[in-house]
This record gives sequence, C-alpha cells and structure tokens, in this order.
Amino acid sequence: MLRLRRRETGDPGRGLGVTHPPAILQFETELPDTSAGAIGLAPGDTDDLAWILRYATEHQLVVDVRGGGSHHGFGSPPTPDLVVSMSRFDGVQEWHPDDLTVVVGAGTPVASLEAILAEQSQTAVLPEVPGNATVGGVIAAGLSSLRRARLLGTRERVLEVTVVTGDGRVVTAGGRVVKNVSGYDLPRLTVGAFGSLGVITSVCLKVLPVPESAATIVLDDPGQAVAAHRPLALLETSDWSELFLWGTEPEVDAVAGRVGGRTRRGLHWPSDPEGALRWSLRVPPAMVGAAIAALPEQWRYLAVHGAGDLRLASDSRAGAGHLRAWAESVGGHLVVVDAPPAALPDFDPWGTPPPGLELQRRIIAQFDPARVINPGRLPGGL
Amino acid sequence: MSLIADLRTLLGDDRVLTEAVELHIYSKDASLMRGDPTCVVLPESTEEVAEVVRIAERHKAPIVARGAGTGLTAGASPINGGVVVSLTRLDDLDLDVDNRMAWVGAGVINLDLSVAAAPHGLYFAPDPSSQSACTIGGNIANNSGGAHCLAEGATTSHVLAVEVVLPGGETAVFGDAAPDPPGLDVKGVLVGSEGTLGIVTRALVRLLPLDPDVRTLLIDFPTLEGATTTVSEVVAAGLIPAALEIMDQNMMVAVENWLHGGFPTDSAAVLLAEVVGEPEAVVAEAEVISRIARANGAKEVRLAADASERAQLWLGRKSAFGAMAQVSPDYYLHDTVVPRRVLAETMNEVQAIADRYELVTYNVFHAGDGNLHPLIPFDASEEGMLEKVHQAGMEMVDACLSRGGALSGEHGIGLEKRDLMPESFSELDLDAQARLKEAFDPAGLFNPAKILPEGSRCFDFGGVRREIPDGAWV
Repeated sequence: MLRLRRRETGDPGRGLGVTHPPAILQFETELPDTSAGAIGLAPGDTDDLAWILRYATEHQLVVDVRGGGSHHGFGSPPTPDLVVSMSRFDGVQEWHPDDLTVVVGAGTPVASLEAILAEQSQTAVLPEVPGNATVGGVIAAGLSSLRRARLLGTRERVLEVTVVTGDGRVVTAGGRVVKNVSGYDLPRLTVGAFGSLGVITSVCLKVLPVPESAATIVLDDPGQAVAAHRPLALLETSDWSELFLWGTEPEVDAVAGRVGGRTRRGLHWPSDPEGALRWSLRVPPAMVGAAIAALPEQWRYLAVHGAGDLRLASDSRAGAGHLRAWAESVGGHLVVVDAPPAALPDFDPWGTPPPGLELQRRIIAQFDPARVINPGRLPGGL
Repeated sequence: MSLIADLRTLLGDDRVLTEAVELHIYSKDASLMRGDPTCVVLPESTEEVAEVVRIAERHKAPIVARGAGTGLTAGASPINGGVVVSLTRLDDLDLDVDNRMAWVGAGVINLDLSVAAAPHGLYFAPDPSSQSACTIGGNIANNSGGAHCLAEGATTSHVLAVEVVLPGGETAVFGDAAPDPPGLDVKGVLVGSEGTLGIVTRALVRLLPLDPDVRTLLIDFPTLEGATTTVSEVVAAGLIPAALEIMDQNMMVAVENWLHGGFPTDSAAVLLAEVVGEPEAVVAEAEVISRIARANGAKEVRLAADASERAQLWLGRKSAFGAMAQVSPDYYLHDTVVPRRVLAETMNEVQAIADRYELVTYNVFHAGDGNLHPLIPFDASEEGMLEKVHQAGMEMVDACLSRGGALSGEHGIGLEKRDLMPESFSELDLDAQARLKEAFDPAGLFNPAKILPEGSRCFDFGGVRREIPDGAWV
C-alpha cells in the first residue's frame, strides 16, 4: 500500500505517488501545526474533491477536512495524510430573499454569509460570533446559534446538502424549499457527523426575516426573564445575565419595560469563554441552573437558558471527571471542544459512547467504506 | 408453526386479526391504494412490537407499521402483504413540564397530546389537518406539517428522541432530552422514514408554551395574486406569522355549503393569517398584515372577535378536505412545494392544466411555505376518469418540479409518489438513499416498496414481491 512520505519544502506534490497530479489540484502551502507531514490540497469543485477522495480510498489515506479551523480540536481529530481545505467552495450560489432560502458553498465563512443576508434583513441563524468558522464546518461539527432556545439549532436550518462521499460520489439530498419530505432526511444526518457521510460542499439553508426592532437587556437576576414570552435568548455567565429580544418595535419596547433592567438597542452577542481547554456541556433544558452549580471552581461558562447548552472553558482538567459523571447521570454529556495535544490522554472527548454504534458504523460504511474522512473522530471511535 | 400461529402465541387470538372484513379495513390508508395484509396485530408494548418483528422476520413477512391510517400516499398500505402492526394501543403519555417535553407512545393522537399539555400551559406545535385523528407515530413517520409549521417547523423539529424497534428486533433509543447528542443523528433520519427503517414506538417530543395572545385574520381578495403577494410582503416586512393559509373560491364555496362559517364566497381568495405572542406583538403584527393586504387590494379584513370565531375560521380551514365529500365521491390531493416567489405563476399553471383536462381544482394551501394542495374532485366509477386525473396530476407535479419545487411538503412519498423520485433526484442521489435503507434493513422487510423506486440500488429484497397490485395507482 502506498503511504505518503513526509512532505518536503518546495515540492508539495512529492509523495503523492502520481507524477502528474491533475492540474485541477491546487496545493496549500500553509498547514496547521498538527498536520505536519500531510499534504494540503485545495480542490476547486466537486470533481476535484471526488478525485481526491477516490484516491484516498484507493490508498487508504486519512483525510482531514478544514473549514476555518475554529473547531479543529473537536472530537478526536486524526493524524491526516491529506488536509483538504474547503476555502475555494466559497460564496453564495443562489439567494432569493422571497423564498427564505439561500444556497451557499460550504467554505463560505459564516460571518460573510450572515453579512450578505443582513443586507436584506435576513439571517441563517448560525453562530453569532463565529470567528473564522465556515458554513460547512459549523454544520459538520453541529454547532448552533445562541438563539437556539427560540429558533432551534443548526439541524433545523439545513434543507439540502451536497456531499462528496468517502469513495468519491457526489450526492445531493433534500431540496431547495422550506418544507420537504421527499426521501430520507440525509441533510439532517450530516449535521454533527464530522464528514463521516461525505465532505459537505454546498448547502441550502432556511433563512428567517429579521424583525424591525431588537434589544439586549442586562438583568440583575435571570429570573426576571419570565416576564418575556419566548424571548430570542437568555444567556448567563458568572458575571452577568442578558435577555435578547426581537420583534416589532411596540413589542420590544413593551417587553423591555415589563422585564426591567438596562436596555441597549440591537443584539450584542457575547463570545464563548476562552481558556486552554474548551468544553460543551449539554443537559436537559431545566437543568441549566443545576449545571452551573455543578461546575468546578474557576471554570468559565456561557449558558444558553432554555436550550441546555453551556459553553465552558478552563485552564486545567481538574473536576472534569466529576462534571462528566454528573452530566451523564442527568441524561447529558460533557464533550471536549478543544484541548492542547496530549492534555487529556485518558479522557474520551465524547464520554460514554451513544447507543446503536453498530448501526452508525453500518451507515457510515455506506458512504465512506474505506473510512478515510476523519476516521475515529466520532464517539465510539467511529 | 405458521406466521399467524406464532403471532397468536405471543398476543393471543384477539390481538391478531385475520377475518376478511378486518383485513379489508387495514388494507389501505386514506389514499386510493389498497394492499392485502396477511394479518393485523395490535401490540400493547414496545417489547411486543420487538417480538412481532422477530416473528415476522423469521417468516420473511413484510412489516408495515400503521397509526390512524390518515396517510395520503399509501405509506401504510401493505401492498406486498405481510403483517400490519397497528400501534394505536401504545398510548402512554408522560409529561415533563419542567423541561417542556413529553414521552409519548406512537399511538397517542396528536390533538390528545396538546389537550393533555394544555393545563400546564404547553402544546405540541405540529398540527396536521387530521390532528384529531392522526397519531404521533404517523406524524413521525411522515414528518407531518400543518398550518402552524410555518413558524415552528414540521414534526422533525419537535422530536428530541425516539425509541425504535430496528430490523432484527433490537430496541434502541436515539436522541436525548439534552441537546446535540454525540454521534450520528439517527433519530433525525428515522423521522420521515415512513416505517422503512424501523418502528418508532415512543418519542420524546418538544412542547411549546401556549401563547399569551393571538389574532386571527380572514382577509378576502378579488384576485389570488393579491393574496399571494400579501404573503410575500408580510414576510419581507420581517414577520413570520404562526400561519398564512390561502383558500380559493371553489374551496370556500365547498366549505361554506357545509359549515356556514361566513366565508366570503364571492371573493377569488381568502388569506387566513394568524399571529401569536405578546399582546403588543399580535396587535402590531396584525396591523402590518392588514396594511399590506389593503395595499394589495384586499376588500375586507376581518379580525376574529373571540376564541369561538377563531375556532370557526380554523374549523373551516381544517375541514376543507372533509367538505369535498359533498362535491364528489373521490378526490386527488397534491402536496408539492415550490419556492415561494413562483407560487402565483405555479398556481396559474396548475389551473391551466386543469382547464386543459376539463377538470376543476379546489385549492387550500400553506402559502407561507409555498406548499400547494390542489385538489381534484372526480368520480372514479366514470370510465377513464382515473387515468385522466392521474395524467393531469403528473403534469401538475412537473409544473412544480420544473420551477425548483419538491415532490412532497408534508404528506410523504409512500407508494403514490415513489416512482416520481427520479424526477427530483439523480441515480447517485437515489442510490445513496437506498444505501441508507440497506444499512438499517438489509432484508428489506420494513414497509417494502415505499419511498424508493425499484432499481434505486441493486439489492435483493429477500424474496419479497415488489410488484404493485392491479388497480393500484402510482
């Protein structure tokens, strides 16, 4: 079996085992530190990508797919032979504001997409502070908006998806309409699947109109939020609680008045907490208060009330084992989002494996039979 | 022992139905296609469903799950015979008010769930027109929609976990009360899979808080375009009303003759709009909708004065299909979706097709979603009529697909639209779907011949006949 040799400076194609890689392939020169020795490729379309994946399947190469790299440490990232950048799958392909749908390349930064949609007062309800994250990356990693208690998560946004499977088939599922039950919901299956069904190349997302008015209210006590019926978000950190409202102006003004607290116009979203270790704590929605109480000292948090979603950061792993045990005892999960290499040698990033692993393995085998895309990155070593 | 003898040993004689009249009742859903079940079983627990599956598989008998039988695409019609598994007795209901969720048996009736949740200030959002009869299990199988899924999404958005009996008889729970369960979203793909991947026996569903206030408007327009343009402009103004439903004149007359609800039968179309939320929100949003409607030629904007008037308006909308019984013995109902910007032109095209075939259409549809429901009344006993309606129907589907639409918005594919799937998907796309099916159900015994057309993937269906019986309409 062909294995890649260590890449040598100035000759990125060496070691691929092909004298003349197709001209369609563009080589990336800058690779992330964790991928030393891998070859970076930036395919320009699905044909290029299919060629690469077929090649990887044929030679049993491990493929790491990169969007913006913001969540590259999520799960158990493999040591890759090939790093495929999705940067050239960039841009809005189709957008008719009246349809409340947008078709976008997977490599498009979330921030760029939301900026374009905002010009027509629309939003795809993707993460509000995405950094470099791309649309495809957010979907593959299953990241959701802070507005999810009101508007639901990223799973609810993906109407159609085109993937290139591990063995190089270009497959589209779903449809470009807001409501569709034609065939199996493969688009939903790609959310949080880390590319195990194929590399996402483009998606059609359901977008929403943004109402005329919005406000961010600093609360003295998160309990004040009960005065608002289904607010856009209620967020809490160790330092503050904030209520986010949107709607018609009379509504936002009236609700802000009822709630009380310092009100700012517009939506002022916080970033996730920072630290050497980043975690995602997922609990039943009513357990958010208990989850905050269960956090080890010094851990920082951003809690999304009503959704059971807590984004955590810490400087050390101390207390993580206890927290995971507590989370799993209430039907939740403590997941490692990012950690320095070898920081958590005996700590599974996902925790206790989910049920039906054998079924999940059979599903993945139908799409990536040689298991070349992110092998082992999912729970249970899938 | 025979299949029936084994099932009787498990369930007793009274929960294995084999009499001709019983089999006839369970031989079809609300579509026009009838199957021929070997027997019908009435399990009362997940364990019994699992055992039924194991027995049926041992006898290589097809397994067709069934809820209330209100489906419109023959999803529950046992066209290859086998065991019909009626899930109506799985009717346990366990509310979790703190988390705004409930574990519900597959046989719980949709409306019963909302009724049970109401004292706690909660409700279940998906509300198909058949909600007083259809079951949660059926809603999950078809990813059912309803008038209110414009704002809140279809069934899949409200299912957090499912307990499922998989091919092979193993039972598993996929999903959690906590968000984003790690691993593949198996639950997500089970919703809408029409019983072809497993039998969902219970589900954890999301409940929403009842809205403090509501405004329901009935707006009549001299033209259909006035109504559809209003819908577009309302959304462009930043509103996602709880519902935006349009009824055309034919349908209004049918409903009015039946219900006497005060629908303006001299108008070309009415828009039924509903806004919910904070009191200030519904007042402001109703004002925006009225203003836009008037600018688009609305003759009258009627605001439901109280709960009973509101209920009356909704009864009119949800009874629309029932009202067709007085019009003709049979009707054929479409469920395509088009991008909203081409809604009006698609409606015109559908009308032109009907005119060409000398057929009449009745329209009531989810305008906010672009989900059309043209309904063609006919008398199947009239010679050649079925073929004519069928032919016109195919042209209507093409008119939608050629404008970027989808085959089904909320009714599912079942058998009825199965052979149209290649018009929406490439061979590779269909092959991928067939591979998913194969990963779950390699023997192909779970609701065979549904969703995917023959030849989607070259695999053997374990000796099960896949042909379609005479007279079936696909």
